[in-house]
Amino acid sequence: MHLAHLRLRDFRNYPRLDVDFAPGFHVLLGDNAQGKTNILEAIYLMATLRSFRGVGGSQMVRHGQKGYFVGGKAVGQGEHEIKMYWSTAERKLSLDNQPVRKLGDYFGALRVVIFCTEDLQLVKGPSRARRRFIDLLLSQTYPSYLPLLQRYAQALRSRNALLKQRTPDDAALESFSNELVKLGNEIIRMRVELIPKLSPLARLAYRRISNDAEELRLEYQPSVKKDFVVELAQSRRREQTYRSTLIGPHRDEILLQLNDRSAAQFGSEGQKRTLAIALKMAQAEYLTGIHGSAPILLIDDVMGELDVKRRSGLLPLLERAHHTRGQVFMTCTEENWPRELGRDLQRWEVKAGALKKL
Amino acid sequence: MASLPQPIADLIGTLSRLPGIGPRSAERLALHLVQSDASEVKQLAETLVNARERVQTCSICGSLTEQSPCTMCSDPRRDAALICLVERPTDIISIEKSGTFRGKYHVLGGKISPLNGVDPEDLRIGELESRLTTEPIKEIVIALGTDVEGDATSNYLAKRLARPGLRITRIAHGLPAGSGLEFADELTLTHALAGRREME
Ligand SMILES: Nc1ncnc2c1ncn2[C@@H]1O[C@H](COP(=O)(O)OP(=O)(O)OP(=O)(O)O)[C@@H](O)[C@H]1O
Ligand SMILES: [Mg+2]
Ligand SMILES: [Zn+2]
Repeated sequence: MHLAHLRLRDFRNYPRLDVDFAPGFHVLLGDNAQGKTNILEAIYLMATLRSFRGVGGSQMVRHGQKGYFVGGKAVGQGEHEIKMYWSTAERKLSLDNQPVRKLGDYFGALRVVIFCTEDLQLVKGPSRARRRFIDLLLSQTYPSYLPLLQRYAQALRSRNALLKQRTPDDAALESFSNELVKLGNEIIRMRVELIPKLSPLARLAYRRISNDAEELRLEYQPSVKKDFVVELAQSRRREQTYRSTLIGPHRDEILLQLNDRSAAQFGSEGQKRTLAIALKMAQAEYLTGIHGSAPILLIDDVMGELDVKRRSGLLPLLERAHHTRGQVFMTCTEENWPRELGRDLQRWEVKAGALKKL
Repeated sequence: MASLPQPIADLIGTLSRLPGIGPRSAERLALHLVQSDASEVKQLAETLVNARERVQTCSICGSLTEQSPCTMCSDPRRDAALICLVERPTDIISIEKSGTFRGKYHVLGGKISPLNGVDPEDLRIGELESRLTTEPIKEIVIALGTDVEGDATSNYLAKRLARPGLRITRIAHGLPAGSGLEFADELTLTHALAGRREME
């Protein structure tokens, strides 16, 4: 899969940009604060409808303007035309010039995996960060997953609102509990299926990047141990104290261990970084396996943080990704770009919100 | 820029409280109205008051009607053993358009919605329970939307209404998730009514 065209209007520091990209390895070169990461942000936004920087729409509108437009042409099995417009008053999203009505149908038009410094949160951050990673991966592979997750969130919010009432109606609570359990069990089932497939990919990637230094273990630890109904009923007493739902997939954890020790607690900074990258590599490999074509890889500022040894472990993985007619976008400054990379690089100069082919 | 005369500002304020009317549309409507023919505006006001005064909710089923009980409740050709339970009066219109339902209706007036402070007691469930004692009802078809609240409410009702000799079914499919009945087209509704399922 590759992005053949990108169009920006009033997005971040880009007043207007129209650029064609071939498949292959693209390096976005430029000084700091010129707009390299903004390009990756726009591509990621088209794929996932959110910013990987975790900000809302208004921050991405070019200062002083009303709204942004981001559009592109994705070429995979077929061709897809994506158009999105955002302003405080109006949001529009269309796929092949049809307004998108169900998000489940939209994901898949463009699949990306991002590598960025924020990835460290996957290892260091709260369990929410790891659940979000798994949820994105499942949304990228099953159109039914995102609607399922949204329904679960709705059931959970409703149930929590009931628990906050002074005297919750038991029968109403039970009817929302039924919904929670029904939807929750489906989420758990899909996560249970995914993790054993993802785990070996992550181990392998970790071994390659770290040159066999440590053994990675990735394990799903669902909040529900056996029976959601029974355990939810057992938690009623505690729920009365906390006034919210304490059991369910919204409390799941994904355990990350290096040589049988918690990576978050005992890993070095370098190990954590390697682990975060390995998880992203696993995501890319998994998507490739499922869809038969590699996702677009977006790599922001990651190279500079790895030592030479780990860089030389990672680069072949990236090069392989783009050999299968995939596409890689990597940002670099003049100082830190990996010169050891192959010859067939496509280099772009990014300067003050404009792109120039080098 | 000089500020708007107070009556116009008041009108904008009132209009923007209507559903689906944002501040922009409210302003456009208000400016249009104050520049229209006085007689036209007067007629509009009369039509509004008139409509409001003549329309009431049916004391039995809760639909919108000029006289209560409504024509559907008093129509002897309708199957009194069959009741279709809907969320809002407008849902009746969608189902009537599909032309496949020959029973009577009951409007619930909403769904159980903890996030919006709607409890079971805020819905017309008690009214339905008393209908069960006075009318020869054999089956209730629950036709609520299929979002989480619709599902939970159906669930709740199936338990609360259960009694010997009463079938409770639910429209099985065809309703788009996350929306009320009003988005369903006639075809999917016909399909849905034919494919209703017993609730356990
Ligand atoms: N909403 C916005 N409107 C206008 N300009 C913006 C907006 N948001 C960010 N910028 C500008 O974009 C530039 C930063 O772009 P970006 O983050 O892509 O930089 P970069 O090239 O990746 O730099 P670095 O090498 O430091 O990571 C800054 O000059 C910033 O002022
Ligand atoms: Mg950057
Ligand atoms: Zn009536």
